[in-house]
Amino acid sequence: MRAFANVHPAVSMTYFLSVLLISMFLPHPILQTEALIGGALFCATLKKRGRAGDIGFYLILFVMIAITNPLFSHNGVTILFFLNGNPMTFEAFLYGISLAGMVVGVLLWCKAYSEIMTSDKFLYLFGKAVPKLSLVLSTALRFIPSYLRMSRQVGRAQKAMGLYAGKSLTDRVKNRMRVLAALVAWSLENAMDTSASMKARGYGKKGRTSFSLFRFRRSDGILLGACIFLLALPIVGAALGVTEFNYYPRVDKIETSFMALVIYTALGLLSLLPFILEVKEAVLWKYYRSKI
Amino acid sequence: MEILQVENLSFRYPKADQNALEKVSFSVQSGEFVVLCGHSGCGKTTLLRLLKKEIAPVGEKSGQILYRGNLRDVQFDAGKVGFVQQNPESQVVTDKVWHELAFGLENMGLPSEVIRRRVGEMASFFGIEGWFRQRTEQLSGGQKQILNLASVMAMQPSLLILDEPTGQLDPIAAADFIAALQKINRELGLTVLLSEHRLEEVFPIADRVIVLENGQVLLSDSPKNIGARLSEISKNHPMLCALPAAVRIWQGVGADLPCPLTVREGRDFLERNYTCRGKALPVPEIPNEAECAIELKNVWFRYEKDLPDVLRGVALKVPRGKIFSVLGGNGAGKTTLLNVMAGLEKAYRGRVSVGGKSIKDCKGSLYRNNLALLPQNPQTVFVKDSVRADLMEILKTMEISENEAKKRINAIADKLGISDLLCRHPYDISGGEQQKCALAKVLLSEPKILLLDEPTKGIDAFAKKNLKKILFELKREGMTVIMVTHDVEFAAECADICAFIFDGEVLCADMPQKFFAENSFYTTAANRMARGLWKNAVTCEQVIECCLEEGEKQ
Repeated sequence: MRAFANVHPAVSMTYFLSVLLISMFLPHPILQTEALIGGALFCATLKKRGRAGDIGFYLILFVMIAITNPLFSHNGVTILFFLNGNPMTFEAFLYGISLAGMVVGVLLWCKAYSEIMTSDKFLYLFGKAVPKLSLVLSTALRFIPSYLRMSRQVGRAQKAMGLYAGKSLTDRVKNRMRVLAALVAWSLENAMDTSASMKARGYGKKGRTSFSLFRFRRSDGILLGACIFLLALPIVGAALGVTEFNYYPRVDKIETSFMALVIYTALGLLSLLPFILEVKEAVLWKYYRSKI
Repeated sequence: MEILQVENLSFRYPKADQNALEKVSFSVQSGEFVVLCGHSGCGKTTLLRLLKKEIAPVGEKSGQILYRGNLRDVQFDAGKVGFVQQNPESQVVTDKVWHELAFGLENMGLPSEVIRRRVGEMASFFGIEGWFRQRTEQLSGGQKQILNLASVMAMQPSLLILDEPTGQLDPIAAADFIAALQKINRELGLTVLLSEHRLEEVFPIADRVIVLENGQVLLSDSPKNIGARLSEISKNHPMLCALPAAVRIWQGVGADLPCPLTVREGRDFLERNYTCRGKALPVPEIPNEAECAIELKNVWFRYEKDLPDVLRGVALKVPRGKIFSVLGGNGAGKTTLLNVMAGLEKAYRGRVSVGGKSIKDCKGSLYRNNLALLPQNPQTVFVKDSVRADLMEILKTMEISENEAKKRINAIADKLGISDLLCRHPYDISGGEQQKCALAKVLLSEPKILLLDEPTKGIDAFAKKNLKKILFELKREGMTVIMVTHDVEFAAECADICAFIFDGEVLCADMPQKFFAENSFYTTAANRMARGLWKNAVTCEQVIECCLEEGEKQ
């Protein structure tokens, strides 16, 4: 997962937003399939551990949603059979599958998002809008783990003195309360040192800048351009009604006009983009390796 | 050229009845390495903080502080004077190492490209590249302190002030830190003003030492002369015991020769001037049949199933009524061993018995009147807003009358010398005092076995001496004391038995004299000086004794 994780946060953010928007608001079977496949392939390149279990989870979720829809929705004209006197329709089945595809697709993309958009990238993007916010969040992120560690230490110290070391509920609650009291004093004391350290390094002067390690490279620009272009096509298509697709009362035919084909290709490319980058990188590495 | 000049500086905290600083005058030359030392509470921190305008304490101030001959004014740049505090943990502001390095530069309003270059420069100067993108939370104390130094240095100060920067570090991290300081001073010509209580490493590299006493400058001289001038003032000046081993030995034998500072010079001094007929000091025997207070048999421990073992088959016998010291480096498993003994962690294999009874069988009875642990950070012991309330709290659970409780508190306070601290808030007192108060609280549960985790961390030589006295008294009363420590000198002076732990195993346990005499690196400075001259001389006192008995060379 190196290639896509290393692009500029602004680019990856734009990318995730556009894919998520399309897969949520354009319920078209071809587009959804593309987004789903793209998301699945992307996730597959992300992490090695726990993938088998994940696939099981998504499959079950998919089947559940796909089956649930026809059980409750009886729209559509093509009746397949009756269950407890209720008509099960072909259209409802298809719509269920489409819905399931959308939900699973969005989940997969969200998973990829959380892997790629780490807290520092998020801070970098939105810290610009609210300069103080990024520092506040950064110090909070710093403080929480040390707070937790201190609370563990205090808990142990108290236990080793034999104070409320019992396992009963009252003992435990009392112990928690005492630890909390100690932690308040400790964090105030700590905050004094931290604020001295901040002041000693000139915090509070006017004209503070915000530094980050991210660089906007030429390749990021190209990627961003491609992203926007590929996003624009389906949006234009949606505006013209090309991507409109109805399941009820009868399933529409999938459009195959030139415009539609262009849109399908565009979204296909967009959703496969990270996977393609990943594969390109892997192939390049193989190639360099073989030359060494 | 004088970079800093302090003239007749007096300072008094609000509501205090005496001045914290009294007519302090000194100056620092550009490029000098100056060490400030003195008893804790002598005004070191107050003085250093006054020199840094942004964090100067509030109170009545008179006298002048001149920086390059000018009075500091409002426009004075925060970046010009760098300040590093004692606690590595609380100085780190942000969550990422690179962000911490950039923090001061962001405050100065520098453009991104300049920050990028300076951050890169600092990271490579201090060897931070390897953990540049890490979270600050994952760093060790030593790394955090190096990071604090680097992020101050990134602002390109012309004067660096450090307030006991190695106080919370283990000896190896402390030596690394001092080496980094020396590098800055030598290679960049930066002026360094450092307050320190561990003088062994900084004494030889300092250009000048300033001794502060009761808010006044007692001495200001080169390190070679400090020993002589201190003993001129008083033969038993309390500051003498804080000096490096070589100086203490030199002062102890009362020689009329140039003062040695390092182990090498000290060794040379002893070899040249004293006759060595291979005198061997007697080593007391360990009584074999002594009853065991704590016994570990083949103890294995790991924190999680997938993690490596921290203790691998530890076997250990702690005889009753002795001071037992476990030494070892970082990550050797010292603290884990102590936690296993204290029942805070459970060994997955092997047997731990306390007072002949397996630790598994004494669930409720393990702590009160039996065993107590004083953790590394004494602050974790306090939960109330005064020392007295904290001491009272532990007695409340023991179901004794109010009067009896008061009596016991006064008794323990007298014993540990904390009577005048009882009304104070536990966070308002110094590290050494905090430790004594925490010890008082722990002792009120009337343990027979006392476990101490790094008892000398962050306390000065006087507090150490005091602690030693307390431990001896507890031993006399029949208590068993087990401590884990990095502090070789302290173990050599206090312990009856020393054990060495490495890679999760206890390798050897012996009387300190034998233990240290057989180690060649992991031993006291005094022993390193006297190695090969006299056998079994481990502490400064013992080396002095040998010198005086064997006599000077003709």
